[in-house]
Amino acid sequence: MRLLIVEDEDVLRQQLEVGLTQHGFIVDSASEGRNGLYYGTEYDYDAAIIDLGLPGIDGIDLIKQLRQARRAFPILILTARGDWHEKVKGLNAGADDYVVKPYHLEEIVARVNALLRRAAGFANSSLEFGPIQLDLSAKRVALHEKPVDLTAYEYKLLEYLMLNAGKVVSKAQLTEHLYAQDHDRDSNVLEVFVRRLRQKLDPSQTLNPIETVRGQGYRFDLEQGAEK
Amino acid sequence: MAVIRGEMSAYQSRYSLRVRMLVVLGAVLLLFLGFTGIALDRAYRNSVEGGAAERLQIQVYLLLAALEQEAGEFFVIEDIQEPRYAAINSGLYGFVYDAALTEMWRSDSALALSLSQGEQSRRIPEVGEAIFDTVIDSNGERLFRFSYGILWEGVETPFSVSVAELAAPYFSEIRDFRRSLGRWLGGAAALLLILLLVLLRWGLRPLARLSLELRNIERGISQRLTGDYPDELWAVTENLNRLIDSERRQRERYKTTLADLAHSLKTPLSVASGAVDTLSSSSLSAPNLEEGNAQLLVIKQALERMDQIVAYQLQRAVSTQNHATLALRVNVATAVSELLAVLEKVYAGRRFIVESQCDEGLQFRGDERDLLEVLGNTLDNAFKYGAARIRLIAKQGDDGALEFFIEDDGPGISVEQREFVLQRGARADTLAQGQGIGLAVVSDIMASYQGSVTIEPSDLGGAKFVLTFPQPETEPTRK
Repeated sequence: MRLLIVEDEDVLRQQLEVGLTQHGFIVDSASEGRNGLYYGTEYDYDAAIIDLGLPGIDGIDLIKQLRQARRAFPILILTARGDWHEKVKGLNAGADDYVVKPYHLEEIVARVNALLRRAAGFANSSLEFGPIQLDLSAKRVALHEKPVDLTAYEYKLLEYLMLNAGKVVSKAQLTEHLYAQDHDRDSNVLEVFVRRLRQKLDPSQTLNPIETVRGQGYRFDLEQGAEK
Repeated sequence: MAVIRGEMSAYQSRYSLRVRMLVVLGAVLLLFLGFTGIALDRAYRNSVEGGAAERLQIQVYLLLAALEQEAGEFFVIEDIQEPRYAAINSGLYGFVYDAALTEMWRSDSALALSLSQGEQSRRIPEVGEAIFDTVIDSNGERLFRFSYGILWEGVETPFSVSVAELAAPYFSEIRDFRRSLGRWLGGAAALLLILLLVLLRWGLRPLARLSLELRNIERGISQRLTGDYPDELWAVTENLNRLIDSERRQRERYKTTLADLAHSLKTPLSVASGAVDTLSSSSLSAPNLEEGNAQLLVIKQALERMDQIVAYQLQRAVSTQNHATLALRVNVATAVSELLAVLEKVYAGRRFIVESQCDEGLQFRGDERDLLEVLGNTLDNAFKYGAARIRLIAKQGDDGALEFFIEDDGPGISVEQREFVLQRGARADTLAQGQGIGLAVVSDIMASYQGSVTIEPSDLGGAKFVLTFPQPETEPTRK
């Protein structure tokens, strides 16, 4: 999951970068509104965290311009003032949720996860596709109610595919959303991860949860809902 | 504005401008008309008396022409042309006296007449001198008398001839005049008083308009004094406008400064609490790991405390005390729908059924931020604790108060907890640990509007918050 952080306070921005990276997100950050707008319109993000008090373009304007540029990713605003007048302004401009400063990293992570889940159209934090269960907040996967041991990258890959269930996800898209820019991953590595996921989730090869769409990418292709 | 109101009420106990001017001008008017009446009365009276004296003088000459004297005896030689001298008690009497005031002759008309006491001491007119005076007869009737001193041919001592006439007809003439004079002057006084009232009303109209405009500013209908005022009031209205503007600017400045202060304090607070989070998550490998974590917890709690204090004081300061006086009207339905849209977005994951009833025309008199803050915090609380249903009703109460009912289907708030939840932290450090500031802020803002907030059980199953903003005074009370 690739996140954009726009925060002018250096220490806060670094704390968020480090903290969110530790929680498995790919993070790009900008220290002022214009850069934020550039990143936000040039790259495809899964969510953005935007401070309202920004130099250059102010947070509210940044959100409005991103929305005008048809960027639909969920936006979490950080606000120091915390009064409703401010919150209403931000959310009316196109943001989806707010966190009042000072905050705890856990709170931000929880809000971002909730926003990602909602954006993908899921009502609660546990995604169920047949026998496969994925808990977004605990970041755990179970098969037939038995925990499956996944590496961090395997989990991220599965989470992304499941949140985009039914849609074809290209290898480029996966690379962009799952890896930091500086790691120029070979697409062969992705194939390896997909193969391992298939082995772990479908050892008997009857389920076929991840379909390969030739020349286009992958698709997570199970029916949503608990196993009958 | 509070200062001005206080002084105004001190003056209200005294007399109004209209009463003062009416009293003074009324007194002047009465005094003037009174003196006019007295002067006219006196002039008329003098002219009547002068007329009487003139007529009596002619009578004296007539009498002299008809009188004859022989050896100290006076008699009328021929018929006097005036028949009243011959008829008894006719009201016109003639007398002749000698130098010692001894009566020498009286007309037939005066045969039954006796003049009152004190006659002996009256002054005798010198020869050629005329005296006009009044005497009273034994019946108490008033008479005008004209006396004239003469020398008779061949007699050494002087005589005096007097003619007296009943004064009653003259007096009744004067009375008639007085009566009609009184009627005219009274009518004029009434007319002038009415004119005065009209003039005062017209003259003081700009003041009445000024007070209406001020009331409208207070009620939030207008922002400044806009009327076209006469020169004398112009300075006052200009200064009032300036005062209103500066008050408004000052409020804005105050808010901005405080918001900046909060912003600048909150960022370092965020940094510090972030650092504490990082420290406590990265395992301290030192032998005194537990000690370190305990200290970090202390710092963390202190930071949370500081944050609460900043947030709480900011809210208190931003919701100013004087909103009702110079504030504008806020459309309640707009604020409610904005807030609900925002909250439904924030709590989108929980699929609430939100039921809201709010009259289109409903208006809140005060600061929009205060309304958003009060409703936002209460609604946020409902969304936080509600399970699936939220209900909001906004309406005008019977007594004109603006009322909000916000209900949820959550666990509700027990009777013991209600007081505690709404406790107004007069000081932020009296807030209970872990208690959000939201509802305390609601209590504070409601109190600053002389409003109230109560918690009741809701028929949805959870809590029902009742917020009441009293109707602001529409008319200044005046005794």
